[in-house]
Amino acid sequence: MKYWQDETEPVKAFVTLWERVSQDPEFIDGMKKVNQLIWFNYTADGPNCSFHVDGRDGKFIVAPGKPADEPNLTMSLSADDAHLSWANKLNPVMAITRGKIKVKGSATGLLKLAPKLKKVAVYYEQVLKDLGWEDKMAK
Amino acid sequence: MKYPDLSFEPFFTWANRPKILYKAGAREELGFEMEKLGGTKVVIYTDKGLVQAGVVDMVIEAVNESSLELVGVYDKIVQDARLDLINEGTAFYRECGADCMVVVGGGSVMDTAKAINILIGKGIDDFAPLAEQVGLFDDAQPLPPHVAFPTTAGTGAEVTFAMVVLNDIEKVKVACAHPYCNPDLAILDPELTVKLPPKITAFTAMDALTHAIEAVTTVSANPISDGLGLHAIRIITKYLPEVMKSPENVEARGYLLIASAMAGMSFINSFTGGVHATAHALGALYGIPHGLANSIMLPHVMAFNLEENPERFVLIADAMGVNIDGMTSERAAKAAVQAVLDLQKSVGLTETLKDFGVPDDRESLLHLTELAMGDSQVSYNPRYLEEDDVLNLYLKAR
Repeated sequence: MKYWQDETEPVKAFVTLWERVSQDPEFIDGMKKVNQLIWFNYTADGPNCSFHVDGRDGKFIVAPGKPADEPNLTMSLSADDAHLSWANKLNPVMAITRGKIKVKGSATGLLKLAPKLKKVAVYYEQVLKDLGWEDKMAK
Repeated sequence: MKYPDLSFEPFFTWANRPKILYKAGAREELGFEMEKLGGTKVVIYTDKGLVQAGVVDMVIEAVNESSLELVGVYDKIVQDARLDLINEGTAFYRECGADCMVVVGGGSVMDTAKAINILIGKGIDDFAPLAEQVGLFDDAQPLPPHVAFPTTAGTGAEVTFAMVVLNDIEKVKVACAHPYCNPDLAILDPELTVKLPPKITAFTAMDALTHAIEAVTTVSANPISDGLGLHAIRIITKYLPEVMKSPENVEARGYLLIASAMAGMSFINSFTGGVHATAHALGALYGIPHGLANSIMLPHVMAFNLEENPERFVLIADAMGVNIDGMTSERAAKAAVQAVLDLQKSVGLTETLKDFGVPDDRESLLHLTELAMGDSQVSYNPRYLEEDDVLNLYLKAR
């Protein structure tokens, strides 16, 4: 991995990011509309390298690892590409067309959140700073 | 005009499919080309309008003069690629014992056929779960032989590796991509477009113009898409008025077909933006034909985007024949919007959203706005679009 020392680092960064995002009313509203259990799967970089977001039925639960229930949507990519994605440095549609992001399940809901990636990137930068990982900022 | 300094994303990709064959009367090459692709038993996918206009017969004649066997004509395709017809058209292919498809039509027909060929290739019969997946690139394999004859110069669907599918139950349009869904061969035969009614000629050409303009101004624009998009703009600006004056001018029709394919290649690689996002929602909820919805939204979205990258709109003004010498970039960029409005007026496209019953109160526009904000293309608009911006664009376009 280019940006991470081991599989725990990306999970810590992304879970912290989503916990931060889950405090924002705009995203709470967005996730309610998406109404899905989403698994962000980076296990190609380590068996425990993944987290999930449960936005079903008005919930907004973020936790490391694969969810116990079958996810409505699984996004599989490398932890490095996930880092670029949250930093809004990866064109998601282009990444899908190149096979860098593999999609299983319905992605139409999550697409509704794509315009928010710019705002997520602002949160992400702050999260990396708070974790003392300014050196990981995507160039 | 001095060429401006333009930036583009440091990394981009470019996909180049299909092969294109151009000639007035090029349909006579169908048999030779399909044989090379390995097809023998042909199903034609089209719509009833093209059958009644005699256009399908022109292609059937070409099939009959070749060694190909015509095993069926599926002509039930209507506006937009609908899930029910995709599944039905797939069953038809199998019932006929076909091993290849020839597609004769505009964007709705070509997109429907792309989805059918994916189902045939995968050996399954329901497209709904695939459409929801948006990108079908994982383990994608080449599909059965597929040749398309575009009969409108607009969508560029003969070259794009995506299709827009309407879920008529949920009233939503979803763009779905597959690396081999576009035809193996696109045959551009302008003789097949001569009978296209003037109104449809006009708004499908505006669709192509929208593709080119959005491709040149999107956040993902790159030098290759710029080259194709800007020249498509030049061609459409020159030849659309000529075709409107002389609908049987095959040479001018041919230029429009070529421009449409160029614009298609341009936008499928650099994406589009706010015009397409708002137009897809209008098509899903109000049934406005895609090209017409694009045409209505285009000048409003352009005006909104000008401040973000005016130099790109200067290039568009120049491509549309505006003499921009001595103009400030701000003025030249605005001139691009005016040039679009002038072109629309000259070809009789004066509709607004009001003509299609789109309401004018903000509350009633919320669902439309929400649909547009969930469209895959909204993120590629050059200027960041908030919900309120989209809603205001709809109000301006009334």
